[in-house]
Amino acid sequence: MAKPKISSDWLAGCAGCHMSLLDIDERILTVAELADIRSTPITDLKEPDESGVDVGILEGGINNTFNEEVAHKMRKRCKLLVALGDCAVFGGVPAMRNFFTIEEALRRAYIETESTDEQGKIPTDPELAVPTRVRALNEVVPVDLYVPGCPPDPDTIFYVLSELAQGRKPVLENGKLQWH
Amino acid sequence: MINLTIDGKPVQVPDGTTVLQAAQAAGIHIPTLCNHPALKPFGGCRLCLVEVEGMRTLQPSCTMPASDKMVVLTGTDKVKAARRFVLNMIFSDRNHFCPYCQVTGGDCELQNSALDEGMSHWNFPPNWERYPVDATHDYFVMDHNRCILCHRCVRACGELVGNFTLGIEERGARSMLVADTGVPLGSSSCVSCGTCVAVCPTGALIERNSAYQGPEKNMTVTRSICMTCSMGCGIQVYTRDNRIVRIVGDWDAPVNGGVLCKNGRFVPLEEKRQRVTTPLVRKNGRLEPASWEEALQTAAARLRPLAGQKEKGIAALASPRLPAEALAAFKQLFGGCLGAEIVTSTDQGRTTGAVRTVSDELGRPIESGLAALRGADCVLTLGAKLYDNHMVAGFFIKRNLPQGTRLVLVESENGEFAARANVFLKTGAVGAVIDGLKAALVRLGLQSGDAAQAEAALTAAAQAAGVTVDDLLAAAGLVGSAERPAFVYRENVDAPTLRKLVELAGATHAALVSIKGLPNMLAAAQMGLDRPFALNGHQAAYLALGDEAPSPELAAALRKAPFLVVQASYTSELTEQADVVLPVEMWAEQEGHFLNLEGRIQQAARSLQAPAGVRSNLAVLQALAEQMNATLTADWQAELAARPLPVALG
Repeated sequence: MAKPKISSDWLAGCAGCHMSLLDIDERILTVAELADIRSTPITDLKEPDESGVDVGILEGGINNTFNEEVAHKMRKRCKLLVALGDCAVFGGVPAMRNFFTIEEALRRAYIETESTDEQGKIPTDPELAVPTRVRALNEVVPVDLYVPGCPPDPDTIFYVLSELAQGRKPVLENGKLQWH
Repeated sequence: MINLTIDGKPVQVPDGTTVLQAAQAAGIHIPTLCNHPALKPFGGCRLCLVEVEGMRTLQPSCTMPASDKMVVLTGTDKVKAARRFVLNMIFSDRNHFCPYCQVTGGDCELQNSALDEGMSHWNFPPNWERYPVDATHDYFVMDHNRCILCHRCVRACGELVGNFTLGIEERGARSMLVADTGVPLGSSSCVSCGTCVAVCPTGALIERNSAYQGPEKNMTVTRSICMTCSMGCGIQVYTRDNRIVRIVGDWDAPVNGGVLCKNGRFVPLEEKRQRVTTPLVRKNGRLEPASWEEALQTAAARLRPLAGQKEKGIAALASPRLPAEALAAFKQLFGGCLGAEIVTSTDQGRTTGAVRTVSDELGRPIESGLAALRGADCVLTLGAKLYDNHMVAGFFIKRNLPQGTRLVLVESENGEFAARANVFLKTGAVGAVIDGLKAALVRLGLQSGDAAQAEAALTAAAQAAGVTVDDLLAAAGLVGSAERPAFVYRENVDAPTLRKLVELAGATHAALVSIKGLPNMLAAAQMGLDRPFALNGHQAAYLALGDEAPSPELAAALRKAPFLVVQASYTSELTEQADVVLPVEMWAEQEGHFLNLEGRIQQAARSLQAPAGVRSNLAVLQALAEQMNATLTADWQAELAARPLPVALG
């Protein structure tokens, strides 16, 4: 049997879940032996194979049109989609901005921050993604497996990866299921 | 008894038990949110739904009475699906974002319930409406985003404290927790007891002082007793890195059953006084740091020659905040070894003098335990001011008022109770009121006696007290017709007045309760440390102050002392005046026994480590005795038992 292909990407999060993934330390070699690690934010390949992967992992919530695109592409190209971390599962810290309008959030970020001088302005380049309300991944695409945590514990991530790499669907029980 | 089966397990419980209680007794866990053991069943959250054979729908186990031959199932797929649905609905109702909540990571009953059910995500997005956060209160914050409308706080405020500040306005999804008629919590009728915070299952009510200082699993919990007043409420002290994070009521404590007041829960965390951490000795007019040896030698050298010198000798005062062990040692050292003429407490018997005198005269206990107050159907308070001290005793009364308990106040000021009283006799003339009540009882035919004499006495008493005859008659009517009346008084009732009060209590079968100042005052009184103090010609004064904040009167009375030793935790006017200062443990650092106002012996435990160089009150007294070649052998239990207690705990 060919090794299962795993891809990951990060959206509106802090990259902390991927840092926690790297915190599995040398066990990443075991994962690499068992699975074919394809595109990730920390490998050269940037997009999941057009021919498809077995497992897609997304960190972070959806906060703009680009995130939507990435989520849809990953969903289309993977067989099993994992929401990794509280932002992907619930919306997380970025979702705090949902209590304000997008205009308020942009004004705060680009004009009102203490470090911004009078030249501050909200970017309007048509090339840029359009900000949206922050959503959990399952509000945009169907999710097959949820691994909450802020971030999820490295041991939990290793357990999830090793189960997926061996073609099994992990079950989060006892201490492994944690929200923060 | 009722026999039922829960998850195939036969369970026997008494009549009136709910299905939830029966399951708990059988060790079967049913998740709950709105239910709280100290509160009446409510049936609001629906998390405790169970299947009952023969019933069409799932039933809330918290409100469903167990009945004979009932067959209950708590873990079926149907039940589990219902729980998940309930939790999903609760999470979608408002904004429950765990990563930025104070109680996340083990202290949230909502989060724990979700994890117990294996919930890895929410099926519905949160509300995203902005709910207000009320941060106007001195001691806690109310965040409506986290509120699940379980009504625990509302019920605690009413059922346990009798304050009825919290309530719910509107209905359904528009329901909102409100204070009074929707005023900010900080300007509401809240008495800051914090019971609502203690029962909140989520982060909707959080303490300002302890918020965001880590989960409870990272703290040490010490079960002890409150050191604020003579109630002796059970507390649990949460500490981290040798610092008190939070004080909560001990739900299992016999005195308070989990309820605390502001003075016990929040005020101790606001300690701002400066600590004494090293012995100090006055040299050339200035207090200088010294070794323990030097300080003890200096004190001993001056005290020893004064032994047995009567009115030219030593006057010694101890704080009723000291444990019984230290009080007994203090009595032996100064009363026995040094033959001091005055060996008393800083209270000087003000709060216990009358009760001791009258119970000694009568040769029997004249007072009852707090149970009499909790169960009273009519309470008469005589200058007790239970709204500003011994507040938990006040809660016992207030919470019974909706059940029909009558309240008669004899107080000289308009306190918080005034609006709740059935009769308010606004006067400080307690003795005249007692005479008036006695006469009124005769006049109303509730007691036998001479009608003409009673009429005259009633008019005279009303005049003397500055109250109306009608009010006296109304008060007497309530007291005289009650089945379980209780009278609460404090030190404004002197021995002659108390004799009359005991007589009135006897005639109306009322229980007497008095409040006794500081935590160990009854122990001090049992040991005879309750005499008045005056410096007069005494050549030295010794003050075992502990962590008591001395009154300005005491400081003034000791200003002329030729030689003053103060054993204290904190600097004060008195330590400034002292010739020798000996640093001792504060309440959370000391351990020992305390006799509360109802004569209950309770143990205080150490929840903090004292700073280096600081000793226990007992150790200081022992070391001082050693300097004078004396050994302290006093047995505190024997000291407490040396005379009969004025209170029958029952």
